[in-house]
Amino acid sequence: MNQKKRILIVDDDPDFAAAIAKILTTAHYEVEKAGSVQGGMKAIEERTPDLILLDVMMEKYDDGFNMCYDLKHDERYKHIPVIMITAVTEVTGLKFSPDTDGEYLQAEGYLRKPINAEVLLERVASLV
Amino acid sequence: MAQSECILIIDDEEVLRDGCKQVLTEKGYVTATAENGDLGLQLIRELNPDLVLIDLKMPGKSGLEVLQEIASTHPNIVKIVITGYSTVSSAVEAMQKGADDFIPKPFTADEISMTVEKGLKKRRLILEREALMREQEVVRRNMISLVSHEMRAPLAATIQYLEVILGGMAGEVSQEATEMIERCVVRLREMLELFGRWLKLATYDPQKSAERFIEVQLSDVAAKVLEMRKPEAQKMKIHLSLEAPHELPSVMGSRGALEEVLDNLIGNAVKYNKEGGWVKVRLLEQNQEILVEVADNGIGIPQEHLPRIFDEFYRVDGRRNAPIKGAGLGLAIVKKLVETHGGSIGAESRFGEGTLFRISLPKSQQTQAERTGGCKAA
Repeated sequence: MNQKKRILIVDDDPDFAAAIAKILTTAHYEVEKAGSVQGGMKAIEERTPDLILLDVMMEKYDDGFNMCYDLKHDERYKHIPVIMITAVTEVTGLKFSPDTDGEYLQAEGYLRKPINAEVLLERVASLV
Repeated sequence: MAQSECILIIDDEEVLRDGCKQVLTEKGYVTATAENGDLGLQLIRELNPDLVLIDLKMPGKSGLEVLQEIASTHPNIVKIVITGYSTVSSAVEAMQKGADDFIPKPFTADEISMTVEKGLKKRRLILEREALMREQEVVRRNMISLVSHEMRAPLAATIQYLEVILGGMAGEVSQEATEMIERCVVRLREMLELFGRWLKLATYDPQKSAERFIEVQLSDVAAKVLEMRKPEAQKMKIHLSLEAPHELPSVMGSRGALEEVLDNLIGNAVKYNKEGGWVKVRLLEQNQEILVEVADNGIGIPQEHLPRIFDEFYRVDGRRNAPIKGAGLGLAIVKKLVETHGGSIGAESRFGEGTLFRISLPKSQQTQAERTGGCKAA
């Protein structure tokens, strides 16, 4: 029997996290939620998830980026796929293109809030 | 307020230096003195005074040199030059080189006080303006982060919940409720899009955009946009056409921005049209310019609205239940983008008969020449 894949959602908007969690649990994923970078790191240390959904802007506008950078430069966690999610678009000057920001942003995917349920499930399934 | 204002006197004559210092100290100003230009410049850096009095005729570094240096490093310090016995020409030269005022020798205590007070009034205005501009910038930035995050986040979370409900993940939803929730999602997405557009307009930096200009072939851009708009046009049985000469010179610009311009105009021409109508895009070369015409035989724009259609948030049909939705930002963005490209835009329309938008953009060589030729037009 296949074990349920575990997904960690790191987002400081509890409503958004709850909605995303519902989509994922309905699709039979096991979901854990964290509302901050610290909470997210703690959850990862306790039990490594199979995938992380990571909000870009939490307390600071680039919290998510920094966390992603740290994860991808940590031998223990760099293998975990990360999908960055954000409500902002390109206008804030943050860039998400893998061509220009590959060094910095090594996430496996990028999705814009709100996320279409089908798109989310497709992307997640392709990475776990 | 006057008490804390700082005045620096740069003069090689001790009598004049001390005289000014005495008069101005009595008036309640903080004063400092320097007997030559180099020391004066050092004190400028250290004290950042509000106003400086500079004697034009000094041994060593001349007053004019000192003036010019201050003008370039500290443009906001008010600079008053002290000129020799009624030498008008040196005063004129000093004013040309950045002095705010001059006072000819000899002068009385009252005269110097009045000139200084007048200069400080200017200084206060400059400081006030600077503070206002800083404040404006802070407000603008806060507004941008507020709109981009604080206002979008709740919308995103709400839509996300609605998606879950619509997907049946939170239990069965009746057909009627589904339809209503679908409308909720449509309306909320419209709002998200509006924020996005507004943000684009508010944060658009023409200078930055111009630095990345490349050669763009407008007929490619027009063809692409028409292709994208085709499904929408077909639904309304609207005929789209493109007319462009084979060897159309390119323009210098941002491909993305020019696409947005044409998409806005062609999109409008399709939206505000009638079933079976047409939209004609015509590109032509005229002298040093490329003309882009987007014409339609749609519903047209009433004459009284024409002068305002490029204004931000202006809508011809401003009713809440207007059949075609929009924020009234499309044409404002178009105009801004066209102007960034050194071009201009105009519109002609007859209500009930159709509309013609005409854009002119400089041909690429000319733009390049202008770019390398400096900014005399600015």
